[in-house]
Amino acid sequence: MPLDTSTYSLALLRLDGRRWNELRRLTAQISTQAAADGSSYLEMGNTKVICTVTGPLEAKSTSGNRSGGDRADVQVSIRIAGFSGVDRKRRGRGDKRTQEMQTTIANAFSQSLFTHLYPHSTITLSLHILSQDGSLLAALLNASTLALIDAGIPMRDYICACTAGSTSSYSSNDEKADPLLDLNNMEEQELPFLTVATLGDTDDVSVLVMETRVQIGRLEGMLAVGVDGCKQVREILDQVVRKRGTKILEGSQL
Amino acid sequence: MAITILAPAPTVPYQTRNDADDDDENGGVDLEGDSDMRPSKRARRGKDIVTPGETVTDDPQWMRGHGTYIAPSSTEIIATVAGTVQKTNKLLSVRPLRARYTPEIGDLVVGRIIEVQSKRWRVDVGAPVLAGLPLSAINLPGGILRKRTETDELQIRTFFSEGDLLVAEVQSLYQDGSASLHTRSLKYGKLRNGVFISVSGTGGGGGVVRARRQVWTIDTDHGGGKVDVILGVNGYIWISKHVEVAGGDTAITRIEENVSSTIYSSQNDEIPAETRREIARIRGVITLLVEEGLRVDEDMVMRGYEAAVMVDDENPGESTTYLGGDMGKRVLEMLSGT
Amino acid sequence: MPREVEPSLNEKQFFAKALQENIRLDGRALDQFRALELDFGDEYGVADVKLGKTRVHTHITAEVTTPFPDRPFDGIFTITTELSPMTSPSIELNRPSETETLLSRLLEKTIRRSGALDTESLCLIGGSKCWSIRADVHVLSHDGNLVDASSIAVIAALQHFRKPDTSTEGEQVTVYTVREREPVPLSLLHFPLCVTFSFYGEGLLGKGGEEEGEAVLVDANLMEEQLREGSVTVGINRHGEVCQIAKLGGLPVDAVALLNCVKVAGVKVKELSKFIAGRLEADAKKRDKGGLMAELRADNDRVS
Repeated sequence: MPLDTSTYSLALLRLDGRRWNELRRLTAQISTQAAADGSSYLEMGNTKVICTVTGPLEAKSTSGNRSGGDRADVQVSIRIAGFSGVDRKRRGRGDKRTQEMQTTIANAFSQSLFTHLYPHSTITLSLHILSQDGSLLAALLNASTLALIDAGIPMRDYICACTAGSTSSYSSNDEKADPLLDLNNMEEQELPFLTVATLGDTDDVSVLVMETRVQIGRLEGMLAVGVDGCKQVREILDQVVRKRGTKILEGSQL
Repeated sequence: MAITILAPAPTVPYQTRNDADDDDENGGVDLEGDSDMRPSKRARRGKDIVTPGETVTDDPQWMRGHGTYIAPSSTEIIATVAGTVQKTNKLLSVRPLRARYTPEIGDLVVGRIIEVQSKRWRVDVGAPVLAGLPLSAINLPGGILRKRTETDELQIRTFFSEGDLLVAEVQSLYQDGSASLHTRSLKYGKLRNGVFISVSGTGGGGGVVRARRQVWTIDTDHGGGKVDVILGVNGYIWISKHVEVAGGDTAITRIEENVSSTIYSSQNDEIPAETRREIARIRGVITLLVEEGLRVDEDMVMRGYEAAVMVDDENPGESTTYLGGDMGKRVLEMLSGT
Repeated sequence: MPREVEPSLNEKQFFAKALQENIRLDGRALDQFRALELDFGDEYGVADVKLGKTRVHTHITAEVTTPFPDRPFDGIFTITTELSPMTSPSIELNRPSETETLLSRLLEKTIRRSGALDTESLCLIGGSKCWSIRADVHVLSHDGNLVDASSIAVIAALQHFRKPDTSTEGEQVTVYTVREREPVPLSLLHFPLCVTFSFYGEGLLGKGGEEEGEAVLVDANLMEEQLREGSVTVGINRHGEVCQIAKLGGLPVDAVALLNCVKVAGVKVKELSKFIAGRLEADAKKRDKGGLMAELRADNDRVS
């Protein structure tokens, strides 16, 4: 079903009533799973993911460790629930899109975590997607960050992610096109968008994935909006961590 | 980066001294912390939480400890974990809210044998890497001063085999942060006659904290007799029936000889049902404390146990050790003194 | 499985030291491609790309099949990649490595998803007959930058390929052989190519006192690839349309630097496109001796 973007220019409101620079409702909890070393549950609009972290644990066999053992190996596995999407499609584990996301998350965190503090061990991230409504990779990255903080694994800074799009279609080079922040599934189907993840408050981009055609001139605006969105996301995630921290400290006061 | 080995935590809190140097030497850092690992009895309201990426201070006089890093080409000390700021003299570190156990020299730990190698055991103590227990670091049967022989190496499984639980002390740390244990004391060794609980995530919140006494004996009510509690610093806990050491006052070598025959036995003694019930009650108290995010130490466990017994006595009918729901709430109310 | 040999510490230091002085071990400028060679085979749709010591062979084939039921008016276009143990002993057959997965994903996103090939033009009879175009990418030798070399090979091969001509009468499709009718080229909408940038930060170069602790390289060879801390692959066509960007984790890089990379990629792709066009023209000249009429001229050499 094509997305009707014609009304946007009239009221400057998107289909779900947001303005161009508004995030969807972003809520998160940490320490949701008792069995894991660290865990989190994150909702970005209707996209819902759970992340559990196990480790750092000693690697089972030395052969599985590629990096020679002087730093921890980050392993990521993503499971997409059958009921998460509109059509109930079973994705095998060999799905290349999932594998690409796994590689992306693993590479991003092996740079931001202080993996050299845990030689010859493995940090395992297990991500479960319960519901998808756009910004999937961004939600996965945010949930992973929270779970890793909960597990107490040292990191340089939060990795925060969000998506940014543009109201222009790829062919037209119209200057009027507005960049959009945090796209939902319908917008993702129709508009060019990119997923961007930054390290903390800086402009340093850790992950940048774009899969749709867009004019080079649109890119700068989209990236700027995306990076700005990441800073908003960091603020929200930080609040979640602080709230949890205060609760823990109050609990132990008795 | 080399692992910074902290000095062993003092056994008694020295808050007065700490408060004194809080005043003038803060150097622009807004913090309030204890250098010891004991949770302070003072109110923690003012304690600030730092999160990863947050600058703790940019004053170059501070040294960077665990949980922090210094950004390249600056003097800013930045937190890498979410937790509370601590300072020890000029050392600034952040204690995470929750993290896996990091071994420190002198820690009393409860562990489980994972792997038997030719001259040592590999022990799971809940740390990122397995700890090692060399054959030379255990009490060999037949006297403490005996030299290790090849026969011992061949019979290594008769001392500890895979799955055995033991209590030990961290003797030294390797470069990579893994621990080397020893059990060269009568206090340490194989565990039997009891029940194991794992309390994960030590740190600023609940769980086991380093305390004056990690091992003590409870004189239980309801005819349960004496019960030993071992709180491993790593969050592993062992509750067992108290076994009187045979011989009592005889010379130390005599004790060695007497005990040696049974020290590596895996056979449980006869445990009466009353004792079993009291062990279960203590276990219930500890799980309750952990669920509520309270610290687990001798004081809390004793108070919790007394409260649990009182609550149980109040209730008419069959005595129960179950501490969920209303029972748990009552115990907690009594604990908090309301 | 033999492990991939990693560069020794000594090599690493030497490389880092050289890079700090803006020197690459093979003497190239930081933003210079290696010598690019492109050859076409005797058949249509066979391209052989050599980028330094990296060599990629691509073969395009076409067959008539039934379209997918959910897309009855679209032809089928697939790109398959193959890395065999002949490339590197660390690669196992029948078990896709991470390199291979990423390579095929990037080609897929750059060329197929961006709509380089007009799949609607491949439809013969809606819902029952269509062309299935398959591009087989074989990596013959791996010396870094497989993605760029493969994208050049696929795009060149697609432009070179000719599919047999067909005619449709009602439900009847006739496929003409090469002798009956001259085969027709594919309908390509644009020609996206990949340019990969490798980033080096303080992990390798060390904590430099100055701010410029970062280096960016274009067309990294195998050793440069093994030592890099992050990379970004930009798929872009010569009209300046970005088809995909993939920075899959790794060293965080400033957003402005990334935009700069995209601009550089635009320039590089124009050069590469010009090179491919030149080679295609030369190949066409070689094949075309004046068309069928010239071939039948009496003054041709007699075949003895």
